[in-house]
Amino acid sequence: MDFANLAAQLNAGTILPEGIVIITLLTVLLGDLIAGRAASRWTPYFAIGGLLSAIVALYFQWNNPTPNGFLGGFNADDLSIVFRGIVALSASVTLLLSVRYVEQSGTPLGEFIVILLTATLGGMFLSGADELVMVFVSLETLSIASYLLTGYMKRDPRSNEAALKYLLIGAASSAIFLYGVSLLYGLSGGETRLSQITTNLLANNANESIGVVIALVFVIAGIAFKIAAVPFHQWTPDVYEGSPTPVVAFLSVGSKAAGFALAIRLLVNAFPMVSEQWHFVMTALALLSMVLGNVVALAQGSMKRMLAYSSIGQAGFVMIGLIIGTDAGYASMVFYLMVYLFMNLGGFACVILFTLRTGTDEITEYSGLYQKDPLLTLCLSICLLSLGGIPPLAGFFGKIYLFWAGWQAGAYWLVLIGLLTSVVSIYYYIRVVKMMVVKEPEEMSEAVKNYPAISWTAFGMRPLQVGLIVCLVATSLAGILSNPLFNLANNSVTGTPLLQSSVIQPARPVMLQSSKTLDEASVLEAHL
Amino acid sequence: MNLADGVQIVSFVVLAAMMLGGALGVVLLDNIVYSAFLLGFVFISMSGMYILLNAAFVAAAQVLIYVGAVNVLILFGIMLVNKRQDFAPVPKAWLGKAATGLVCVGLFVLLGAMVLATPWSLSTLTPIGDGALVAIGKHFFTDFLLPFELASVLLLMAMIGAIVLARRDFLPGELAEPDETVLTLPERPRELVSSKK
Repeated sequence: MDFANLAAQLNAGTILPEGIVIITLLTVLLGDLIAGRAASRWTPYFAIGGLLSAIVALYFQWNNPTPNGFLGGFNADDLSIVFRGIVALSASVTLLLSVRYVEQSGTPLGEFIVILLTATLGGMFLSGADELVMVFVSLETLSIASYLLTGYMKRDPRSNEAALKYLLIGAASSAIFLYGVSLLYGLSGGETRLSQITTNLLANNANESIGVVIALVFVIAGIAFKIAAVPFHQWTPDVYEGSPTPVVAFLSVGSKAAGFALAIRLLVNAFPMVSEQWHFVMTALALLSMVLGNVVALAQGSMKRMLAYSSIGQAGFVMIGLIIGTDAGYASMVFYLMVYLFMNLGGFACVILFTLRTGTDEITEYSGLYQKDPLLTLCLSICLLSLGGIPPLAGFFGKIYLFWAGWQAGAYWLVLIGLLTSVVSIYYYIRVVKMMVVKEPEEMSEAVKNYPAISWTAFGMRPLQVGLIVCLVATSLAGILSNPLFNLANNSVTGTPLLQSSVIQPARPVMLQSSKTLDEASVLEAHL
Repeated sequence: MNLADGVQIVSFVVLAAMMLGGALGVVLLDNIVYSAFLLGFVFISMSGMYILLNAAFVAAAQVLIYVGAVNVLILFGIMLVNKRQDFAPVPKAWLGKAATGLVCVGLFVLLGAMVLATPWSLSTLTPIGDGALVAIGKHFFTDFLLPFELASVLLLMAMIGAIVLARRDFLPGELAEPDETVLTLPERPRELVSSKK
């Protein structure tokens, strides 16, 4: 194989966006090394610029006729483009939120940005990885970067504890995942490309073996850890409480989105012959996540812990789309993740701002905030109400699309439990809003009474303000003007050969009316 | 059975006994230094298994990486943390141990049954032997190029992270009080918040 031939086969243009991220990362690293602390004036903006140009590069790859790169190692189909876009966008918003936070905690900013960009890189590669080795290496890149970010405030014992917990549980789940993957490799006679595994399993008569089921269970354990589905969620509340808040924002959106991309690609591609089993397991995980996440969130006193449990519940909602496995299901999943990005990051932006000004994140300390800081109150209220699914906000449309798709596919119980638990979730979201808005001036909490004068001039406050406003606008408008996002989500699913071939398969147990869904998806779009 | 088969079987039995005995020692011994050395012993017997399987390169890599790097790192870790602390015996600790043992035995039975019940497809190719190095290199620069390159980014980030964690943030002259806990996160810990009320 000569060089020119090899270069053509590699089709390296498919990873152009990731290349941009790597170049940004190296520039930030070297700039920080040469210029020292003075570099923190420009590095965050440069990193955000790099991530946004990666998103632009992703846009130009849409509907790529030859999506396979690196001899089958990477698949840049439309679904991966959407997920890579979500990961990159969540990282850039997280960067906006983190400048002031990192500065105020007295830790170096340059290394923080480098590690966050590496985590983004791992998430982006994971969304498109089409081969077992690539899946594992990118998963580890994302995980190890997340452990480092969690323990970044290394002089604080809470951050150390969170990092150690996350590392131990994460390493165990990685090992289990790797064991499952190695079983798959052995059963398929030494095949690592996801698209070929099924063919090889059938050729080797291994499709009915118990080995495939065990591999499936182990792989699901690894994935469920990444998306924090119950019962693999135990790390979530402690890690969310002890880590720096911008890191939590990234973990709850970017890392989770990459986990869902991995779930779709791996389960749909490599396990179609045990599809009944994996649907059953995922249904159980989704039900448990929705119920436990939303019920336990009721009892939380700390805002970060509450958002941790709420993110577990939200993951349960998103899993409905994966389980029903129709076009509308996948599209609603993508749409919900896009909406969730803005509303959750908006919520975290408000929590970060309140913490920076008052030094606490107890829910009771928010009482009477309306009198002192109307903008923060407005933004937090909108984001929380949107997470709860109150109409005209973006979260409502995301949820209704998910539930509608689930109902169409006949997953009645899942949808009913989803509806019920989202009512529960409205209660604890509204509790915070009520605390901020309704209280009389004399009921104001200590923290709010001593609230500092609002000023955006300190270093790093402007980016935080920009991030806040962007999330606020996106959350309030994405519901009413959701058509472009709907189209994007639908096109990404219809333009992905992997999902199209799987949707036609009749073996899906919960799918009853798949042929109708496409037309009705367009009908729903026309309505909105 | 000819001589070669006999040697193979005998060395397999010896290696397996070494490996199992070492692994049991790692788990059961109380002294952590013994456990660490026995872990290195287990890794070496594992590389013997690889040699039996005609995979000399993997065996060498196993010794280099696991014994030379991972195990030495563990020993350094033990050596540097020279804090001797006696733990108070937990009442009814055997209950937890018994439950763990039961789960482990169950898992072993499940996996063992799976291994025996599965129709493994055995490769008919002749073992590549010493040509493995060339074959692995070819794979690294063709179909595994992307993970190979991504691993370099991963290692760079791991190195930066390790330096960040290990670096001293303050000069030796201005040593903080040893008992004082430094709170870097802006949130107050929950205990302080509740005591303030």
